[in-house]
Amino acid sequence: MIYPGFLISCVLLALASPAPEAPKPVDLTVHADYLHVAPGEVVRNALIQIRDGKIASVLPGRSAPDGALTVHSIMAGMIDASARVTPGDVAVEQSKEVITNLSVTDSLDFFNPAWDRLARTGVTTTLIAPPDYNVVGGFSVVVKTSGPKRVAARVVNGASILRGAIGELPSAGNSPAFGRPTNFYARRPTTRMGVEWEWRKAFFDAAQSARFPDAEFEGADVLRACLAGDVRIFIQAWTTADIRTAVYLDEEMQAEGYGDLDIVIDAGAEAWKEPAFLVRTGTPVVLPPFPATGRLGERAFMPWDTGRKLTDLGIMIALSAHGETGLKERLSAQAGYAIRGGLTFDEALACVTTTPARLLGVEKQVGAVKSGMDADLVLWNGAPFSATSNIVGVVASGEVVLTPR
Amino acid sequence: MNISSITRLTAALALTSAVAFGGDSHAIKVGKVITMAGEPIENGIVLIESGRITAVGPASEIQIPWDAEVFEAPNLVAFPGQVEACTSQGMDRANESIDVAPFLNVVDSVDPVNFFYEEMLRAGITTLNVQQGNSTVIAGRGMIVKPSGMTVAAMTVRPEAGIKIAITPKRGKSRAVQLMILREAFAGLRRTLEGLVQEANDGNDHARREALAQGRDFEAEDGKGRAMTGSGWIVEGLEAVPRASIDSKILPLLAIVEGRISVYMACSTPMDVLHGLEIAKENGFLAQTVLLLGPTCWKVSDEIKAAGVRGVILSSTLEHTERAPFAEEDTVTVLPTHFAEKGIPFALASQNSTTQSLWFQAARCVALGVDREVALAAITSGPAEVIGLSSEVGTIEKGKHGNLVLLSGDPLSLQTQVRYVFIEGKLTYDRTTDTRLQHLMDGVQPEGTSADEPVVEDIHEEERTAGDK
Repeated sequence: MIYPGFLISCVLLALASPAPEAPKPVDLTVHADYLHVAPGEVVRNALIQIRDGKIASVLPGRSAPDGALTVHSIMAGMIDASARVTPGDVAVEQSKEVITNLSVTDSLDFFNPAWDRLARTGVTTTLIAPPDYNVVGGFSVVVKTSGPKRVAARVVNGASILRGAIGELPSAGNSPAFGRPTNFYARRPTTRMGVEWEWRKAFFDAAQSARFPDAEFEGADVLRACLAGDVRIFIQAWTTADIRTAVYLDEEMQAEGYGDLDIVIDAGAEAWKEPAFLVRTGTPVVLPPFPATGRLGERAFMPWDTGRKLTDLGIMIALSAHGETGLKERLSAQAGYAIRGGLTFDEALACVTTTPARLLGVEKQVGAVKSGMDADLVLWNGAPFSATSNIVGVVASGEVVLTPR
Repeated sequence: MNISSITRLTAALALTSAVAFGGDSHAIKVGKVITMAGEPIENGIVLIESGRITAVGPASEIQIPWDAEVFEAPNLVAFPGQVEACTSQGMDRANESIDVAPFLNVVDSVDPVNFFYEEMLRAGITTLNVQQGNSTVIAGRGMIVKPSGMTVAAMTVRPEAGIKIAITPKRGKSRAVQLMILREAFAGLRRTLEGLVQEANDGNDHARREALAQGRDFEAEDGKGRAMTGSGWIVEGLEAVPRASIDSKILPLLAIVEGRISVYMACSTPMDVLHGLEIAKENGFLAQTVLLLGPTCWKVSDEIKAAGVRGVILSSTLEHTERAPFAEEDTVTVLPTHFAEKGIPFALASQNSTTQSLWFQAARCVALGVDREVALAAITSGPAEVIGLSSEVGTIEKGKHGNLVLLSGDPLSLQTQVRYVFIEGKLTYDRTTDTRLQHLMDGVQPEGTSADEPVVEDIHEEERTAGDK
C-alpha cells in the first residue's frame, strides 16, 4: 500500500539529506515595528534573518540595518486549506464515483499565473484538492504558491488528505441510466441521497474486504487507512444537512466497529446552524469566503459572526478565500471580515496560519515566524487585516515575491 | 367668510403651530462630528430644522432651541450621509431595449420597496443617483433619490437629474453600430430642429395648427420660442419655433446639447473614453459629462484630465492587473493613486454589499496609499460634486440636508457599525431594530421564519406502555 503523499515524501527526504557545512552568511534581513510571531505573540522592532529559505533567527528590539526590508508589521505567510487552483474538471478522474488511488498532484500547472497572484496576496501555502465532480475525488496535496515550477520543489510533505464531497456537486449533471446503461455518460449518483449512499457503500465495502479477501477492490486499502485514522478526509459540505451527513458517516463507522474517520469539513458555511454535531465529534471546519449577502454555494447561508460562534464552542476553524485574489476577496480580507464578525485579531490570525497548518499536518514547517521554519512572511503597511492596511510585501521560502514600494 | 375659507384658515393655523412648537427641530449631540468641511468637532452638536442643518459646532458654543427634539449619543461619531454617484440598482429592470430612449424616465421604474435601498441605508448611504443600466445607447432620464419613503415621490431629491449614455456597445451590438446610432441621434436632432425652423420661417407652424384644430393652444411658456444655446452646435433661428412644437421625445436630447442636463457616460475601455470625449465635445456636453470608468481607462487619464469633464467615477475594481503575453510578471496599477497623482478628483462607487460598500472602498483606497481625507471625500463631498448636488449634501454644514450617519467608531474601521441614520433630520435607520442585519451578522432567524426540527410523535406509545406488565 503506497499513497502518493508517501511517495513524494520519500523523494523529498532523498533531496533534503543534510550536508554538514560552515554557516553561510544571511541571505535576507527583514525588519518590522511589529512582528506577529504566532497568534498572541508580538515582538517589537524585530529583525528577521533568513538563510537558505528558512528563518535563521528572530531578534527583538533591533533597529533596521542598511539594506533590510523595513515595514510596519509582519506575520507568517498565510495558508489556504481550500485554495482551488486547478485546471478545472480535467484535474479529477471521473470514470468512477470513488477514486482513491489517484492524486491531484499530477494536474498541478505551475505555469498558471494564478500561483503568482495568490502568492502576492500573502498566501504562501495551499491545499489543492481535486474538483468535486465525483463523490471521492482522490488525494489532495499541500503546495507552496511560489518557487521553482517543478512538483518536487513545490510540494510540502504534510498529512495524507483524501478529498470528497457531499451535496449537489457530485451528482450535478449526472444523467440516470434508464433501462440499461448504454454509454459512459450515464452516471450515478443522480441525487443527494445517492451521493450519501456511495460514501457509506465505499467504507462498508472496504471494511468487508478486510474480512473477505475475495472482496478486495482497487483503492480499498486507502479507505481502510481512512477508517484507521491514518488518512484525513476533507469533505466539502456547504449546508447543515450535508455537514450532518458527514458526521453521521463518521459515527456510523464507529458504531459498526469499522474505525474512526478523521474528517475535516470544507466550505462548511452552515456549521453554525447545528454546531452540536461538530462539538460531539471534534470535527474541524474550513469556512468558505464570507458572502456579502449571506448566501453561498448550494443555497447555504453563512452569517458574519460564524467564526465567533464556532470558536466559542471550541470548534477548530480555518478561513479560506477559495483561491480568490481580488482586494475584497483575498484571504487577508477574509480574516478582516471574521474580525468584523467578532473574532479577535489573534483568533483571526490563527485561522489563516497555525490552524490550517495543523489541519494540513505542516505546522512544524509553516504558519509561524520562528527560527527553523520556512521563511514565509507577509509584510504590511499597517496593522494586519485592518481595512486601511495593505499587504505591501511577501517573502516566500526566503525569496521576495512582492517587493515593498 | 365661507366654510371652506375657515377650514383653510384652521389648517394654516395648525401648520404654523406645528412649526412653532417644534416637531421639526432636532438637535443631535454626539462624541465627535466629522463634517468633511474642516476639522472634526469633538463633543459636537448638529441642529436641524425642517430637514436642513441650521448649525454645527462644539457643545459649548451651540444653544439648543427649547423646542428641539434632542438625540444624545455621546459615544458615537457623526459622519455625513454618503453619496452614491451613479447606480443602476433599485429599479425594475435597469435596461431599456430601445436604443435611444431619452424620453423615458426612471421615475417609472424606481422601486421603493426594493431591498437595495434598505441595503444602502444600512451602509450609511443617504443620497443615490439612479441611472439606467449600461446596456443602452442613450438611456432614459435618471433621478437622485434618498433611500427612504414608500413612494417614488417621497424618495425624490432631484427628478430628471441626468441621462446615461453608453459608449461601450450594448449587448449584441458592434462598436461601430453603437457609435453610429449615438452620432445619428444628435445629427437627427439637428436635422429635425433645422426642419422646424424652416417650417416656422415658411409660416407652416404645423404643431400649433394641429393643437388649435384639437381645440387647445400651447401653454404660455411652451408657446414661445427660445433661441438655442450650447457650446457644440447651434441651430440658428430656433426662437421662431414654439418649444411645444418640438416633439417631446427629442426634447431631452436638446437639453443635453444645450448643456442643461448631466450625462453619465459609461466607458469600459480606454478607446470608449476617447470616442466619448469626442462625441461630447462635438455636441457641446463635455462640461456636463461624468465618466464611469472601467478598470483599464487609467491609460487615457491624461486625455481625461485635458478634456475637462465634470467628474469621474471609478468602478469597484481599485487595482488593475494585467500581463503582457510574453511577460513573466503582472503589471499592477493602483487606480485611486493613479488618478490622485494625475490631479483628477474621483468618486467611488459601491456594489450594494457589505464588503464593497462605499466606506469599504474608501478604506481600501487608504490601504493602497491614498490620503485619508481624499478617500473620505471620494464617498461624501466628491460624489455630491459629481452629481451637481454639492450645495445640498456631502458634508455636515449649515444649509445642507440633515443627512447624518452615527457610527460606533472610525468611519474606515472594520469593526465600526452604522448605528443610526438621519435623513433630512428624520431618524430613518436604527440598527437595533434591523432584523435583516441581525440575520446576516449574527445568524438570528427573524421570528416565525425558521422551521424547527420536526417532532416525531410516537403514536403507538400509549398502546405499547399499556401492554407493559
